[in-house]
Amino acid sequence: MEKLLLTLIFVPLAAGFVLLFTPAKWKLLHKGCGLVISVFTFLAAVKLFTAGKIVFDQPILDIWQVKLNLLFETNHLNTFILLFAMGFGLLISIYSLKDASAPRQSNFFYGALLLAVGGSAGILLTGHLIFLLIFWEIVTVSLYLLVITGGTECRFAATKSFAMLGASDGALLLGIGMIWVLSSGTFQFTGLGLPTDSALSIVAFLLLMLAAVTKAGAMPLHTWLPTSGECTKASIMAILPAALDKLLGIYLLVIIVKEIFLLQSGPLSFILSVVGAATILFAVLVAMVQHNLKKLLSYQAIAQVGYMVLGIATLTPIGIAGAVFHMLNHATYKCCLFLCGGAVEHVSGTAELDQLGGLGKKMPWTFMAFLVATMSMSGIPLFGGFVSKWMVYQGLVQMESQADPAAGFWPLWLLVAMFGSALTLAASVKILHSIFLSRKPDHLRNVREVSAAMLIPMMILAFLCVFFGVFYRIPLKYFIYPALNIERETAIMGSWNSWLAVIYLLGGVLIALLIVLLSRSLLKQRSVPTWTCGEVQPNDKMIVPGTHFYKTISSLSPFKQLYHLQEKEHFDLYNHGGKIGLLFSGFLKWLHSGLLPVYLVWTAFGLIVILTVLCNIW
Amino acid sequence: MEVIRHLFWLLVFPGFLFTVILGLYACWIVRKVTALIHHRIGPPALQPLYDVLKLLGKETLIPEAANKAVFIWAPVVGFASVLLLAILLWAVDFIPARDNGMFLGDVIVAIYLMVIPSLALILGSSASGSPHAAIGTAREMKLVMSYELVLVMAFIVVLIKTATFHGISDSQNDAQLLSLSSIAQYTPALSISGLLAFLAALLCVQAKLGFTPFDIPEAETEIAGGVLIEYSGALLALWKLAQAVMLVAFPLFLVILFMGGIGTGFGSVLLGLGKYVLVLVLLILIKNTNPRMRIDQTVKFFWFYCGPVMAVAIVLAMLGNYYDKWWL
Repeated sequence: MEKLLLTLIFVPLAAGFVLLFTPAKWKLLHKGCGLVISVFTFLAAVKLFTAGKIVFDQPILDIWQVKLNLLFETNHLNTFILLFAMGFGLLISIYSLKDASAPRQSNFFYGALLLAVGGSAGILLTGHLIFLLIFWEIVTVSLYLLVITGGTECRFAATKSFAMLGASDGALLLGIGMIWVLSSGTFQFTGLGLPTDSALSIVAFLLLMLAAVTKAGAMPLHTWLPTSGECTKASIMAILPAALDKLLGIYLLVIIVKEIFLLQSGPLSFILSVVGAATILFAVLVAMVQHNLKKLLSYQAIAQVGYMVLGIATLTPIGIAGAVFHMLNHATYKCCLFLCGGAVEHVSGTAELDQLGGLGKKMPWTFMAFLVATMSMSGIPLFGGFVSKWMVYQGLVQMESQADPAAGFWPLWLLVAMFGSALTLAASVKILHSIFLSRKPDHLRNVREVSAAMLIPMMILAFLCVFFGVFYRIPLKYFIYPALNIERETAIMGSWNSWLAVIYLLGGVLIALLIVLLSRSLLKQRSVPTWTCGEVQPNDKMIVPGTHFYKTISSLSPFKQLYHLQEKEHFDLYNHGGKIGLLFSGFLKWLHSGLLPVYLVWTAFGLIVILTVLCNIW
Repeated sequence: MEVIRHLFWLLVFPGFLFTVILGLYACWIVRKVTALIHHRIGPPALQPLYDVLKLLGKETLIPEAANKAVFIWAPVVGFASVLLLAILLWAVDFIPARDNGMFLGDVIVAIYLMVIPSLALILGSSASGSPHAAIGTAREMKLVMSYELVLVMAFIVVLIKTATFHGISDSQNDAQLLSLSSIAQYTPALSISGLLAFLAALLCVQAKLGFTPFDIPEAETEIAGGVLIEYSGALLALWKLAQAVMLVAFPLFLVILFMGGIGTGFGSVLLGLGKYVLVLVLLILIKNTNPRMRIDQTVKFFWFYCGPVMAVAIVLAMLGNYYDKWWL
């Protein structure tokens, strides 16, 4: 079993690394290799999920106080996330089989995909912080490689994502160093339970938190997501930022809160709540006014991370369970949405909302999957997203009886979360109208449904959205509760009898259908042109694009200024960071004047400083 | 037995027959009171039923550009979801509290179920492919966004008040906080913050029902029926029936949340019906004394006027909770 665990991690890593250096023309090899290995990793993940606890501990290095062990161990939390992570990897490799718009450098695409899969498996299974960091870096690099396959216009996005994620990885490294000091020399995090009472431990917590939320895509370092979303292919967005990065980021956040630290300090959970709430509100407001499908989906993905962060910030069992369940639901529906978006882009050649429309008739399956996934994201009852949001809300309501500073603001968090869900619905309605409903522009007349290899992954994900919504007790019972050591049926305090609701709903549908059929009014149906008060207009003139839906709101006073600042990218820390970096390098440039006397003065100055310090020590 | 009981619940009481009849009757009350305000005689009591029957006999027109499946399924799902909501809310009043298996959901579920009819209307109108309907779609969605903020704030006031009444301090009682039947035991509307919340929620229900001044998505005089412009025949009849059920469910939601519910005894049922009629009459009065607002005015009204008032109400309620003063 330990061998299986090791192969699960290192086979995709090795294969991915080798694939990177194969010629780009060997597409069949890349596809075959990607498919076979992702099938294998998925099956291995299933095996690990059903097997009991496995520990693999191999000392590698033992110098002075630094002990480096290649430590892998399985528990309920990581095997369940692993199962889904590998599942997403498999679905993406099936989807990419027929995706004709796949990048030309398929060696990079499949190589990086396997690296991402192997790296995620490593992150999830390792119990050692240094190895976690190494695998974490591998996933960051693989994202860079994937984004760069988009061609020259993606270089900026790839660099930006790499810089921002790299910066957060730096924070992770620093945080791990602090943990090493705090825990007096151990890198193993299982059951560490450091108290958050000293300044050092609070800083360490914040650094690790920054790394986790950046990977997941929450504010403040969130802007890499929409930038790469705009130019990257949808299947790449579906696997990394939408699915794996969310799983990994929230996994790390759960580990931080539950394993590494004992979170007693109220201010820290307050900071987490603020990050969560601000992420929800800000990102969803920005999402509403986007004109590009993938950018809009990226901003919605950011907003949904807010729910997970907020759920974890409640520090109640149900809040954390809701957050983890929302992570699962989010990965499912967001992956589905990006895949559907990829299908739309594949057939129409564009992701700009105002050039699309009326595709629901020609692409019924894609439309159905997309509809289900958006309903799940907007938290409509009977879909998965509703249940997890509902659990997060319950966690927030439970804060009512707590007495720390974050809990005092529970009405605010609850308001932002519930209102954010309505705004998410608004953004989703905009997409649905612009792409699938409304009228078809003339240039899309010959559009056809995509092939089965692309449809099957979407259908599986859409099915999961419904399944997690109606039979939500099953994933809770088998995945979430064991993973978080929550006793069954104790956590949820609300009531939602989903199957009974389904029965009543179906009953209502039957009644409505009976009314319609018995009246025989539908038999007398007639197809008529759209009523335009007698004016005859060409088809393209009658399209009201969804991109103008929320102009009313974006031109209202405080929002107008907000959107203006957003468009000027004032909220993008990458730009500000870049400016500070430029200032710093300008200063260095100024120092390197090339004049020998200046250098000598600096050297002498440095010598004096060093001598003074040394003298003081002696 | 269980099956028969559920069937009875769905078909007769409090499901389809009861709610639809009550809803059509409520429609008649709306039209009759409106007529009285206008100094007209008004329609006979069966007029809403005649309207529906007449529509059922008409042919159904389907626009060529429409997405036929969504266009037809939207009213069906809209009707079914609002029926589900009505059953959920009646169950709170008529099921003894110990019979937990019958409860469909808590108050959050109810709030979310209330969105589905609007969503179905949005999808159906968007699927019709008409430019008028597209403008109606955008307006309906903006309307939902604008009142949802206030509705959630009113809901939070109710939560705080319920916590105050319960005297909840330990987490074991938390379960009571979200259950509709325990919320229905109290009347937050008798406190200052609760009254503010009730008035704000009343306006939200006004908007949810699409009554003037919030009939912006339909706006017959501007966009010729907007969201409903392409609907006709049996499908339009379904929308009318769904509106009739909404006219029962949404005021009932207010009665449960703010006015202590309906209860089971004969006297309390009469009193409960009185509360329901009170809410209905308030809705009708607002409907008949205000002109239609523009959508931007509505967004401003809900976000910038009702929002701050509700923020004050939440603070008052929290103060009341802190100092144990139920009337705050």
